[in-house]
Amino acid sequence: ANMKLILIFSALIGASLCLETFVGHQVLRIKTKNEEEVKQLQLLESLEHLQLDFWINPSAPALPVDVRIPAVSVQSVKAFLESQGIEYSILIEDLQDVLDKEQQDMAESAQRQRSSSFDFGAYHTLDEINNELDLLASEHSFVEKIQIGQSYEERPLYVLKFSTGGSNRPAIWLDAGIHSREWVTQASALWIANKIASDYGTDASITSLLDKMDLFLLPVANPDGFVYTHTSNRMWRKTRSKIPGSICVGVDPNRNWDAGFGGPGASNKPCSDSYHGPSANSEVEVKSVVDFIKNHGNFKAFLTLHSYSQLLMYPYGYKCTRPDDYAELESLGRAAASSIRSLYGTTFQVGTICSTIYQASGGSIDWSYDNGIKYSFAFELRDTGRYGFLLPANQIIPAAQETWLGLKRIMEHVRN
Amino acid sequence: ELPPSHFAAARAAAVAMGYLRYRRGGPGRGLELRALRRARRQDIDDAGHKYYLELELEDVLDKGRTVNCTAEVLYHLGSKSTAPDVQATVQGELRSTEEADKEFYNRIRSLEKELVAENIPDSHGNVPLELEPLHLLAWAASGYVIWQNSTENTKFHLAQVKHVKQAKRSDEDLQFDYVLLLHEMVSQEVVPWEVTVLWHPRRGARVPRDRRQPGHA
Repeated sequence: ANMKLILIFSALIGASLCLETFVGHQVLRIKTKNEEEVKQLQLLESLEHLQLDFWINPSAPALPVDVRIPAVSVQSVKAFLESQGIEYSILIEDLQDVLDKEQQDMAESAQRQRSSSFDFGAYHTLDEINNELDLLASEHSFVEKIQIGQSYEERPLYVLKFSTGGSNRPAIWLDAGIHSREWVTQASALWIANKIASDYGTDASITSLLDKMDLFLLPVANPDGFVYTHTSNRMWRKTRSKIPGSICVGVDPNRNWDAGFGGPGASNKPCSDSYHGPSANSEVEVKSVVDFIKNHGNFKAFLTLHSYSQLLMYPYGYKCTRPDDYAELESLGRAAASSIRSLYGTTFQVGTICSTIYQASGGSIDWSYDNGIKYSFAFELRDTGRYGFLLPANQIIPAAQETWLGLKRIMEHVRN
Repeated sequence: ELPPSHFAAARAAAVAMGYLRYRRGGPGRGLELRALRRARRQDIDDAGHKYYLELELEDVLDKGRTVNCTAEVLYHLGSKSTAPDVQATVQGELRSTEEADKEFYNRIRSLEKELVAENIPDSHGNVPLELEPLHLLAWAASGYVIWQNSTENTKFHLAQVKHVKQAKRSDEDLQFDYVLLLHEMVSQEVVPWEVTVLWHPRRGARVPRDRRQPGHA
């Protein structure tokens, strides 16, 4: 058995180094009846030019003899055995086939281990998430982890870039976790990243999408807040920036964008959970995204994930008037909500931010829309309040799956 | 007439749900809003704004079955200190809680030490099975607070039971002192609220005492 392992191991190394193959090699089991036959086999063993590889050497009549025979020698060895009346059977018809299958099995098992070591149906820490981003980038040539800046507490802001080529292709932006307590969003973003990476090449829609466009995914837009929800306060929403003149910490990053900044629906009180901050883009988490998107210059869609309430919204939030592209965005929103509903029956309400939740100034999709990115949508994921921010982990994957269908519907429209 | 997706309709529905949970909810029944079918708003001079709602309800312990409900929510004019008036009519039968109530009542009464628990659900959304009745009772209690403290500019949900402690009583009621975290959607604040609940299988839930926890904004 050890012999086999050594053989297979060296075969794999050999195969990978293109040194040797075992195509046509056969392994025979020889059953000797007496001492005479054993001696014959020992004679065979001495013929080095045959390059016979005895897995079980001939020693005593009662013990079987297993031998690997190179392809060129197979016929002559068989002829010899038959002429001597020595019984044999074929253990392995073609050794290379066995080795190939073994290699395939090992690769599949390793793949299963890699993907299954990250449980997408559980909530993870920031470190675990960042490790998984590295893994995804290392497993797929078209996935790259880039850093677009760092948070207030100097944590890197990591974005996964999905690109199959081209130069500055039209791009789609997707972020999650800008409000740190909305845990289903970071979790869903990871699932979605894995989904896209895994299905490129097999899923027609993803493949045609990535063949034409690039996707940039920021799974944890507010890492400081996220860590804080793990270590101190599960209900933390804002950034963790110090505010001059106040004992309170943090700015609502979705009131900090330069779109109707400081207007209705945002608070000027630092202790408020919807505090807009001292000025637009004061939060480095927001500024980093703004700079990245502006420098890129070719984004066609800006999509952002929040929870909870099951809503699919488009601009505006800072004013209660309809955007110029109202008809198209409403129609696309309805189509996306319909796709979401098709999976588990989960209903999302569709509308402008202002009419659906509230007037809220300084929001990200208002900024992106007013900066020429027409397809700007904000999702509020599951649920509608039963668990709210504390969505049970067993709903992560269903939430991610249905949300993905909605996102895909929008992306397909953008692609076309 | 309001589109059901409009925030004003959703806020009024949340008030109606608070009222319903308080009146009809308990350790054996948790009412959820399955869908808001229809909403109308009427501005009444010198009185306030009245919403007429058609709701579809679901008992989380009896999923797969929905019950229709009509409700009226009147927000009083200009007043921030008067609770909205709510009327609600459930069409049809809700699943009986008699057995579940009796089981819960006896279980708590037979405890040697007063029950104490915290973080329901926990950070990952888990609720241990034996704490689910306390979670649902918190829903009923929060329903009262939400009903009493809502305006047209607020939308409250129970975010989490931060803490619950049983207080033994000499009479037949069960008493639980809760610290609830209420999420207010418009300001996005998560507000801690101390709520005392009395409960009895026949008498249902009552909130004799409640207050917004003093402290941070």
